[in-house]
Amino acid sequence: MKEEITRRRFLGTAATLGAGAAAVPAAASPPVHPPGWTGTARVEKIATTCEMCFWRCGILASVSGGKVVRVEGNPDHPQSQGRLCARGNAGTGLLYDPDRLKTPLLRTGERGEGRFKPVGWDEALDFLAGRLVKLREEHGPESLAFFPHGNGARFFATLMRAYGTPNSAEPSFAQCRGPREVGYSLTFGQGLGSPEPVDLEEARLVVLIGSHLGENVFTSQITAFATGLARGAKLIAVDPRFSTAASKADWWLPIRPGTDIALLLAWMNVLIVEGLHDKEYINTYAAGFDRLADHVREFTPEWAEAITEIPAGKIRETARAMGKAKPAVAVHPGRHVTWYGDDTQRARAMAILTALLGSWGRKGGLFLPTPIARGSFDLPDFPESKRGRADGAGTRFPLAVEELGVTNGLIDATLSGDPYPIKAWIVYGQNMLESIPQPARTVEAIGKLDLMVVVDVLPVDQIRYADLVLPEATYLERYDPPTIVESAKRPFIAVRSPACEPLFESKPGWWIAKELAKRLKLEAFFPWETPEQHLGTILAPTGFGVRELVSRGAVAFPGKPYLEDRPPGERSFDTASGKIELYSEALAKIGADPLPRYTPPVEPPRGFLRLIYGRAPVHSFARTQNNEALSALMPENEVWLHVSVARDWGVTGGQRIVLENAEGVKSSPVRVKVTEGIRTDCAYLVHGFGQRSRALRRAFGRGASDNSLMSRVSVDPLTGGTGMRVNFVRAAKA
Amino acid sequence: MARYAMVTDLRKCVACQACTVACSAEWEVPAGHGRTHVRTTPLAGAFPNLMSSPHVGQCNQCDRPPCVEPCPSGATYQDAGGIVRVDGDLCIGCGFCVDACPYEARYINPRTKKVDKCDFCRPRIERGEEPACVATCTAGAKYFGDLEDRDSEVSRLVFREGARRMETRTVAVGPNVFYLGRAEHLDLVLSSFPPRPPRLLTAGEAWTKLLRPLVLVMVGATFAGQAVAFFTQLRKGEGDFEE
Repeated sequence: MKEEITRRRFLGTAATLGAGAAAVPAAASPPVHPPGWTGTARVEKIATTCEMCFWRCGILASVSGGKVVRVEGNPDHPQSQGRLCARGNAGTGLLYDPDRLKTPLLRTGERGEGRFKPVGWDEALDFLAGRLVKLREEHGPESLAFFPHGNGARFFATLMRAYGTPNSAEPSFAQCRGPREVGYSLTFGQGLGSPEPVDLEEARLVVLIGSHLGENVFTSQITAFATGLARGAKLIAVDPRFSTAASKADWWLPIRPGTDIALLLAWMNVLIVEGLHDKEYINTYAAGFDRLADHVREFTPEWAEAITEIPAGKIRETARAMGKAKPAVAVHPGRHVTWYGDDTQRARAMAILTALLGSWGRKGGLFLPTPIARGSFDLPDFPESKRGRADGAGTRFPLAVEELGVTNGLIDATLSGDPYPIKAWIVYGQNMLESIPQPARTVEAIGKLDLMVVVDVLPVDQIRYADLVLPEATYLERYDPPTIVESAKRPFIAVRSPACEPLFESKPGWWIAKELAKRLKLEAFFPWETPEQHLGTILAPTGFGVRELVSRGAVAFPGKPYLEDRPPGERSFDTASGKIELYSEALAKIGADPLPRYTPPVEPPRGFLRLIYGRAPVHSFARTQNNEALSALMPENEVWLHVSVARDWGVTGGQRIVLENAEGVKSSPVRVKVTEGIRTDCAYLVHGFGQRSRALRRAFGRGASDNSLMSRVSVDPLTGGTGMRVNFVRAAKA
Repeated sequence: MARYAMVTDLRKCVACQACTVACSAEWEVPAGHGRTHVRTTPLAGAFPNLMSSPHVGQCNQCDRPPCVEPCPSGATYQDAGGIVRVDGDLCIGCGFCVDACPYEARYINPRTKKVDKCDFCRPRIERGEEPACVATCTAGAKYFGDLEDRDSEVSRLVFREGARRMETRTVAVGPNVFYLGRAEHLDLVLSSFPPRPPRLLTAGEAWTKLLRPLVLVMVGATFAGQAVAFFTQLRKGEGDFEE
């Protein structure tokens, strides 16, 4: 794979923005023909960044005659190193999906009817700018809420701040990793970020608590996980379901759902009582050990067995295995962690376990980020909001991270008008009826709005409630802000360059945001004309030029991933004590448990099972079900039921049933998978199916939507994270 | 002379299907078909003492490929590197080789009406690249190389690490796709997905699939020839008449 990667597509597009059609010089690299494609035209390979999920692997897009004929891994990418998952390999399926949004759409029928007329960009943007100006005059800028996802959203994020609203919230916080970031930050003084820095390849023991690596595929994480296992790492998989990871595990602990904190406390008990913790590390770096030791004394494996249904002997055995393998124990912090509403405390328990094993900042544990300098733009001051945030971040949810926000807080505020009315939403790059639980509430909130705008590539579920739909170009057709990853052993900057011109009337997000800014007289917040200038400013302090980054796709920097790489003076922690806080003064101060405590989960009513959910390796969220190649491999999900449950329910494998939750909400029909590989008290669905948008012809109505069955949430009082494993299902009567 | 082989480490494989999709994208395999198949065995045991294993199937480029002989047109053959190939110009899409393959590695491409299967990405390896499935494998579980080269990674995995062939006593055709894994996992894979005994052509099938079309073609050709001769004669006759 040594073909020269040309940059002319990127530069060509950049030039087009300034001066119309660009004269593109013929590149000098020799012709390359991808196999499977037998024409004679030159093929270029554009180095860019995947967006089939948020992991952002490096890819090479082979382009021939303006068409992307193949997407492969970029061997020069420091993180993914040429490897690419099923979704990444299916990237052209999104680019050439016939169901894509093609032109801006303006609503003509009633909201929810899904009737639109195609309009030009000028009309669409004039309409939107006019409405936003009016909105600001009548209700103040804070009445606009923004729901972003992914790094393409960042241009809009700038626009929102310039407009004057602080109300931006993405599901990646309150529906995903928020409590994890907060729990680890309370303990170590910093969150984990994305990708999470877990040293799986060097680990001697990997501990997965609900993480189902393998079904949950992030390429470089899977590479590291598999490498570690091949080198002999042991594996503990805590999961109510016999996951792919469980099938590789030395210990599969099929825990009673919702009792993980009890298991974690018992592990701490064994480590401390038997003196297996890393004493020198704790003495050097940690504070609050004695209080922790007192706290966990009563939480014996026997105590935990009664709660978790994991035999005490297994708890001791696995704790001792950790003690033996320390500090090279990778306690994976998980990713989607909003389960039961006590999730920040569970994340704290996992962080404390990591600390006891001396694994933070150590080889085979969790490694440390290395900062990368980056350039910033000379922008006017953003307007201060007098009314503050409406989502409760920093107030109602004292520890929520304001940069990420609380989506459900914004929905609450839209419904109640408290602390002030929210009148307009802009939703970017997500299927919010699948990504945020209680979708009926979301639809109800949309009903309160004066303006609902959706920016997306595909006609996702909430399109039918939109007043205006803006078709964005896919990741293969656009420039996005560079991906800057500090939480890697070799930190890196990667670029997303367009591999081809946007299809139909779609436009890149940066163009949409900038055009809108012009109409709102906010151009000063976008002080660059072309993507190349934008990238150049960010790269300025790195020593790398735009051309170099664009031709290689990514550039890496030396990292200092372990504490031992840093002089003792730099081995501090950004907490109040400057140490790892086993006992959290910050939590004590706000009246929360300073040491994690087990609280029993709400139990299923008689005849119901707890609904648990997860990922499949060929799909990302609810974003890929319409992709031809991926849909062919997994067109629908199945509901997993234990053999004895299926017998009790009188259902057989392959039969379609309708699930009904405790509130009487029914799913679309879904096939039954009868298996020994799940506990008898829960049912499992892969997330993202059962979509309701008819315009997604392959995805529509296939399988059951787990999210539609989430009528309840258990909200984490610290972060606002929505615990989602508190819903219960049974087979609906036919 | 090379003897190309592939090794899949099932301890690493997570059944993520990256290989399947990369392969299909590389070779324009129509959706719903595949040159590569990723499966997971049924669970063995009872809760909570369970076992299962992923498995990646593809053409095994067998030493004694049972697909070559049944091919009536000579399209399927084994090349000097041991790779079993299909000459698309010769293939008539009869599907005998599909039935003959013990590993269900062949399919008839509905677009081309020809048989298609894995050839270890021969054009890629000729360019010095890895097969697409090996290059993309998220778990780094796939290895490709030459068994004749004793220093190659696949030689090490096969001859020192004991990577196994998926063979049974009844079906032993020398597959060149090998697997690494715990013995009980490999046994489970083999018992879950055993190679199928090559199906021999029965007299009935021979008639319906091969002879009947052949006879029809021959009869058709005879009629066509007669017709051509007749009209040629007729035109000649007419010509004669006009003259």
